[in-house]
Amino acid sequence: MFVNTSENFTGMTQGFGLDQAVAEAERCLLCHDAPCSKACPADTDPGTFIRKLRLKNVTGAIRTIKENNILGGACGVLCPAARLCEKECCATGIGRPVEIAKIQRFLVEHSWERNFKVFEPAAPNGKSVAVVGSGPAGLSCAAELAKQGCQVTIFEARPEAGGVIRYGVPSYRYDVNFLDHELREIKELGVEIRCNAPIRGAGEAENLLQKGYAAVFVATGLWDAARLNPEVSNVDGLMTSVEYLASLRDEQFEILRNKLKGSTVAVIGGGSVAIDCAESAAKLGAEDVYLVYRRSFVQMPAEEVERIEALAAGVHFLLLNQPVDFVINHHRKIMGLRLVRTRLDAAVGSGRRMPKEIPGSEWVLNADIVIEAIGNQAESGSQNWYPNVAVDRNRLIQADAETRQTSVAGIFAGGDIVRGPALVVDAVNDGKVAAKAILEQLSQQEA
Amino acid sequence: MAGKKVDLSVDFCVIKFENPFLLSSSPVSNSAEMVAKAFEAGWSGVAYKTLNSDRVRIVHPSPRMNPYHYGSKRLVGLQNVEQISDRSLKDNLLDFLYLKKNYPDKIIISSIMGFSNEEWAYLAKASEDNGADMLELNFSCPHMTIEGSGHKVGQANHLIEKFTETVKKAVSIPVLAKMTPNITDMTEPALFAKQGGADAIAAINTVRGISQIGLDDWTARPKVAGIGAISGTSGPAVKPIGLRFIADLAKCEQLGLPLSGQGGIETWIDALEYLLLGSTTVQVTTGIIHYGYRIVEEMIEGLSDYMVERDIERVADLIGKALPTLQDTDKFDLESQGVASYDLDRCVGCGQCLIVCNDSAGQALEWDSQLRRPRLIEDKCLSCMVCSFVCPVSGLISYKPQPSDWQRRETAVMGEQLEAELKLAAFK
Repeated sequence: MFVNTSENFTGMTQGFGLDQAVAEAERCLLCHDAPCSKACPADTDPGTFIRKLRLKNVTGAIRTIKENNILGGACGVLCPAARLCEKECCATGIGRPVEIAKIQRFLVEHSWERNFKVFEPAAPNGKSVAVVGSGPAGLSCAAELAKQGCQVTIFEARPEAGGVIRYGVPSYRYDVNFLDHELREIKELGVEIRCNAPIRGAGEAENLLQKGYAAVFVATGLWDAARLNPEVSNVDGLMTSVEYLASLRDEQFEILRNKLKGSTVAVIGGGSVAIDCAESAAKLGAEDVYLVYRRSFVQMPAEEVERIEALAAGVHFLLLNQPVDFVINHHRKIMGLRLVRTRLDAAVGSGRRMPKEIPGSEWVLNADIVIEAIGNQAESGSQNWYPNVAVDRNRLIQADAETRQTSVAGIFAGGDIVRGPALVVDAVNDGKVAAKAILEQLSQQEA
Repeated sequence: MAGKKVDLSVDFCVIKFENPFLLSSSPVSNSAEMVAKAFEAGWSGVAYKTLNSDRVRIVHPSPRMNPYHYGSKRLVGLQNVEQISDRSLKDNLLDFLYLKKNYPDKIIISSIMGFSNEEWAYLAKASEDNGADMLELNFSCPHMTIEGSGHKVGQANHLIEKFTETVKKAVSIPVLAKMTPNITDMTEPALFAKQGGADAIAAINTVRGISQIGLDDWTARPKVAGIGAISGTSGPAVKPIGLRFIADLAKCEQLGLPLSGQGGIETWIDALEYLLLGSTTVQVTTGIIHYGYRIVEEMIEGLSDYMVERDIERVADLIGKALPTLQDTDKFDLESQGVASYDLDRCVGCGQCLIVCNDSAGQALEWDSQLRRPRLIEDKCLSCMVCSFVCPVSGLISYKPQPSDWQRRETAVMGEQLEAELKLAAFK
């Protein structure tokens, strides 16, 4: 339907069709006070949209999703639903949970197929708002504001919109065709997205308030990769997850693909990003892909389904191994990873079991390419874009939990730049919460 | 249970059927090629697709059927505007000879429909002469528009009697009269058929209905070159109606004829319900249209195992066994009252019981929103049991009789404060 199946790597798996979605909706128990709806961080309300589908109110089901979550499609595809809405599903008690995320994705795709539009452009309210960053948080905030008649301009540093859902996930997980449909709907609300428009000058984000924007929402995300050893740079074959995943989406793609073909790749990390790097490398033709993680399988932060998919894609899980250094030859080309084996200490309290290095167990894993995927952080210097906004020691913006208001009046912030690494659906919710607070503030100013 | 054999055979109008399961007169019994396959699958006989005398050319409308779906559940009902056999009488009779030769123990019931006394007699005789074991007089095809044919006959008692009498005079094999359900009381035309000499009654033919209206063209389905029509509905959706008519006929002492029941039968349980209400044989079409002839395997095995489990040796011992307790509603003992009873250990916490009790019953449930469990206020329970109908866990909610001195709480009156405004005089 809206997936590019022309090539194994780029195509998302096919979603539900109408028959499958209806049959799945029939398994729903139509709960009173539906627990699934309470489990969605962005209040997407599956209990309501599934009931609507069940009672043949398909357009109403689509409306419920889109009114609550402008990125309902992205969430349907990317959400770890098994530990959110689907975890609370009462149908689990008589078998297995309803596949809520797949129904949600179907309804969003169905709306594109039948060209069903939920929103009419709102009457302008004369207010302009600037959004910095076009990732899930920025898009969500922009859409909510535009629905209420604000003139919203999104400033995006990169060539295309989407942030982490364009440059941070491989296309087999979330396709750009799919993203472009979601972006089109947001633009149809009247949102202007300016690409190649970074707001990175000193104080530039704050200065937007002086340029006629009544409020600013900062949602710049986390684009610096944490490094095993920040001193090591300019090494052929050594890259960060941020660089690697972005290359999958840009003109570097063919070069990268040629490099990966037949190579041995080591990915360091145990989170979802590490899985994406390893699995995509395997799918792109790497001979051997090692996922190097210092704890064991169950301690990995990546979702269980992602871990299993990566195993099935042929990724070797090299567990209980702590990378200690890179092996680099005199041409500054990466040759491998120096590892030391670990064992797990007993857990302290409710914490994860900590890895303990085993003395004398050091060994070298030969690799042509090493990808560091040990976490994303706020860009160094990002605090200079908004010097008066309070940030913590990790350069994460401090924003009020209820309003996403920062320490500077008129400046709001949300998404990963506030939370640290989090889910798309959390970012969507931040955008909604901030938009509500901005609208309240604007109407108070009027009064 | 293994090894123990049950005899499923029945005697119907002095003819022995190896089991009570027959094809009814319809597309599933259109040719010997098809019927032979059905016999191989295990069906004991066939009411063959209704013969005609080649006097009028029969053309089936196109398309001629429409499904009635319920959600993703397919074919809970079926609509059709099919006509009687469009094959020549000769071809159909050659097929009779073929079937009798190859399947001598299977029973062929020739369904016929005429437009005059002479035509009824002609078709009856031709059937008997070419191997038919019985006749079924089609007084009930719902798609005939000419007075004096199909269900129009089934609604005109004197014609039923006259045509039955004509046929009985023409042949010596047993004669069934197949009745339309598109009337209020079937016993009346059945008694006229008996008066004419019918040996048994077959019921029901399809129920006139409309299964679907196209939302783009505002036309009923099936749409035949732009035209829709009220036509015959069959399948599980009509089973309650079929059972009701069979029960009416079986309870009519004046009638006292054996019955061949049909309407919505797909499983051995459906068939058994027809038997328990007085059918000796049962006939199936829509179930076969949905699943194929193979469903008879499940009917045979299911009914056999049921009989073994209950130590019932003959199908005859089941026929009509539900009739004694089937009474008019004024025979109910209204002193006997009960409530719903909840086995909450198995509850999954969906709360559908709460919704239906609030919106359609006694508001007898409280809800613990933390635990997600209902709590029954017994003296408010109406014992309607709708909670148990929507509960996804079978058997979690059951009916519990209450002692004779138990009292149900009166329904709350919301307007007690408004008595001064009440305009009401006592009825005299």
